[in-house]
Amino acid sequence: MKYLISGGLAAMAVFGSTALADSAEDTWAPETFTLDNGMDVVVLPDHRAPVVTHMVWYKVGAVDEDQGKSGIAHLFEHVMFKDTDDLEDGEFAATVARLGGQHNAFTSWDYTAYYQRVAKQHLGKMMALEAERMTDLIIDEDPEGSFITERDVVKEERRQRVDNNPGVILREKVLAEFWKGHPYEITVIGRMDEVEALTPQDGIDFYNKFYSPENTILIVAGDVTGDEVRTLAEEHYGQIEPSGLVDGTRKWADVPALTETQEIVHSDPKVRQPVWYRYYNGTSQKRDQDFSLALDVGLDVLGGGNTSLLYVALVEEQKLAVNVGTFAWTGLHDNGPAVIYATPSPGVSMEELEAAVMAEMTALMETGFSDEDVARVRNSMAAAAIYARDSQENMANLFGGWLAIGGSIEDLMSYEDDVRGVTAEAALAAVRTTFATDNHYIEAQLLPAEGEL
Amino acid sequence: MRISLLFGGAVAALGLAACAPGDTTTDTASAPALDVQVHDGEFATIQQFTTPGGVSVWLVEEPSIPILSLRMAWTAGETNDPAGVEGLTNAMVYHMNEGAGELDAQGFFKGMEELNMSFSCGASNESTFCNSSMLTDNANESFEMITLALSEPRFDDGPFERFLREQEVGLQTRETNPQYLASRARAATLYPDHAYAREMSAESIAAITQDAMRAQKDLLMVKEGLLVTAVGAMSPQELAPLIDQAVAGLPDRSETAETSNVVLAAAQTAPVTVDLPQPQSLVTFAAPAMTREDPDFYTAVVLNYTFGGGGFQSRLMKDLRVEKGLTYGVYTQVSSQDKIQLWSGGGQTKNESAGEFIAGVKANMETMVADGMTEEELANAKAYLTGSYPLGFDSNAKIAGRMMGVRLDELPVDFFDKRNAMVEAVTLEDVNRVASEYLSPDNFTFVVVGQPEGLDG
Repeated sequence: MKYLISGGLAAMAVFGSTALADSAEDTWAPETFTLDNGMDVVVLPDHRAPVVTHMVWYKVGAVDEDQGKSGIAHLFEHVMFKDTDDLEDGEFAATVARLGGQHNAFTSWDYTAYYQRVAKQHLGKMMALEAERMTDLIIDEDPEGSFITERDVVKEERRQRVDNNPGVILREKVLAEFWKGHPYEITVIGRMDEVEALTPQDGIDFYNKFYSPENTILIVAGDVTGDEVRTLAEEHYGQIEPSGLVDGTRKWADVPALTETQEIVHSDPKVRQPVWYRYYNGTSQKRDQDFSLALDVGLDVLGGGNTSLLYVALVEEQKLAVNVGTFAWTGLHDNGPAVIYATPSPGVSMEELEAAVMAEMTALMETGFSDEDVARVRNSMAAAAIYARDSQENMANLFGGWLAIGGSIEDLMSYEDDVRGVTAEAALAAVRTTFATDNHYIEAQLLPAEGEL
Repeated sequence: MRISLLFGGAVAALGLAACAPGDTTTDTASAPALDVQVHDGEFATIQQFTTPGGVSVWLVEEPSIPILSLRMAWTAGETNDPAGVEGLTNAMVYHMNEGAGELDAQGFFKGMEELNMSFSCGASNESTFCNSSMLTDNANESFEMITLALSEPRFDDGPFERFLREQEVGLQTRETNPQYLASRARAATLYPDHAYAREMSAESIAAITQDAMRAQKDLLMVKEGLLVTAVGAMSPQELAPLIDQAVAGLPDRSETAETSNVVLAAAQTAPVTVDLPQPQSLVTFAAPAMTREDPDFYTAVVLNYTFGGGGFQSRLMKDLRVEKGLTYGVYTQVSSQDKIQLWSGGGQTKNESAGEFIAGVKANMETMVADGMTEEELANAKAYLTGSYPLGFDSNAKIAGRMMGVRLDELPVDFFDKRNAMVEAVTLEDVNRVASEYLSPDNFTFVVVGQPEGLDG
């Protein structure tokens, strides 16, 4: 078990210190502590409105699923809203709603999070509810009961998110190849056939193995102080005994480099606008922070919006594309892809588009980036840290998502300075490494299909 | 933790659910003299003033973060597109940050990035608006960009050609977009001859010219009737001259056309279907609702929460999702706009269960009409609707948007403070009367997009 900060109430440096230097408030800091049972607690004060965001992050996600059990982490998230010793099916949600609260939950490859947004006087009650389902969930083993109904709901969710959307189907196929042999290879929602076969016993096993206070991070953002949160957290969560079953190991692993270049095409009569992609091996902020920041800066210069070099060349000047861009999934624990994508202008073939995009990529990587372009991108990325503070939900998500994959608060506090420290040379080097000519990649095309439409 | 990409873990996360008393005083400042009416409300302290240039502003000062959220709006929008030039207002607002004065589109975008500000405009049927966020340290320079955009937009060839290419693609992709197909079928069924059923076409886009966009801007964006809301670390005295400077180049006034009220056609008894090859059907439904001013409006809000608006607390979710596992989400809403009022809803279900889904929605309507709500449901609805209201006031951007909503609806400055009392005043008798008047399945026209089965049942 790795603690964020062992013991004590720590005051951190200023989030966004540089830009805030002469501004209204320059003393903002999160507070952190750890309960005796191992639950880490982070408090993000924001006193503008009498509202709090309360989040419990479990350090378990789709990456931790056993072979053949894809989708259990996400289905289990749904099941957490069912019966407990003290709450009937649906009573959790009903109680939050009666207190004027909003709530939801989400699952990723790396974590599962549950949250409520509520008037601050109800924070203790939210903790009581989360503590109840952390310890006393009852999984319905009736073959026609709530576990099975919820499985049907998830199948509808899969149809809505994936199966109805040709672009998402293509992405699922590409990522399965990209992460082949790595636990990320299966999409979070799981394979339809494996979800269909999940049983209440799978749910019970999963709960016992992962749902315990030492495997959680509590984030409270909003109109509270560290002392208030400490008192309430000790009362509601502090009494929970660690299950002792969580060993803290995760199935994270190195993502092997692609060993061959492949092409994946998905055609569908619903597609009216072709899209072209190339997926290259990328990085992750957790595994290589310097390289990742440099790559993020480089990709923004290359293809991060309508002032980017690729956009200006292919959309504004050559008019061959309606859109073009580059981005990387650097927020996961393990390396994600770095992606180039483009949508052709009407009448432009995919071959013509690809040739033009790659010619431009080659030329730009050859020429290098101007200091001015790099400075503008760094500035925008750093300012995002200031704008993030306008939303306590965003702040809670930002801190929770980073800490749940083992990042530190110091990383977040120094983000702005770290971004400003990326040089044009480093950004260019990261891009050149990622898209080197002899690197393998997956090319993907979303195409219209002949059909009755 | 790339900050701009991490909000909500968009690419990597799956959610559980689809869906979502003051007194007035006067404060006179040193210079320039500005008459500021302060409304010290429960949710926000709103300062109302008229700038020396005549612009009416609602400002909430929020010193704790160095950000200003700014909204500007006018109460005329897309319905002012001339017949045959549908999309003109859309085209005009698209170009409002695509170059102004000496700056071409690239120059303007880069200028905004260097200041870490945003500025963009949009339009709806009955409104045109521009929104901006800026760092208060850069407020002067940021307002110079807004001034340039509002007074000297270029409508250059480059952005215009790009706009036309994007629209050409958009006309293609909308033909397989289930939400678009459902709303088009709804309009064609319920109000085929009204201005709200007009839409962009290849011909109407071809009729758009740069001169027509300039004229449309002068028609829709004028000083008279301009509404401004702002939240951030600025005082009225700091903000007023910046706003005056920003709007100095706008025409004083213009004559816009008044849209007629939508009169809905009779409901269709059988579902209207639109074929689209996909495994899941989108089911939507709509019926007449009341106006915003109608004394039953808040009764409908309360009833809607229990029927289909309240997420997991609604009867439709409890029945169709939790009990039957038929859908990931189903919702209803009361949408009382100035010229059109609809009680509508929708959800997605596999094609095989589309008939069962519709039957389930109708059965819930019938039960509500026949038996009404329970006292407990009424109490729960009121508790949520009033208790959750403060959640809408916890960010600068949210408060600026909420204030603009109040201003566009011509509600008073103390609306936020009085709204919960209007919810509390709803009685069970009111709710049950409104249910029988509005929620009968016979009032609703169902539209299904997909390859639905079992619709005859």
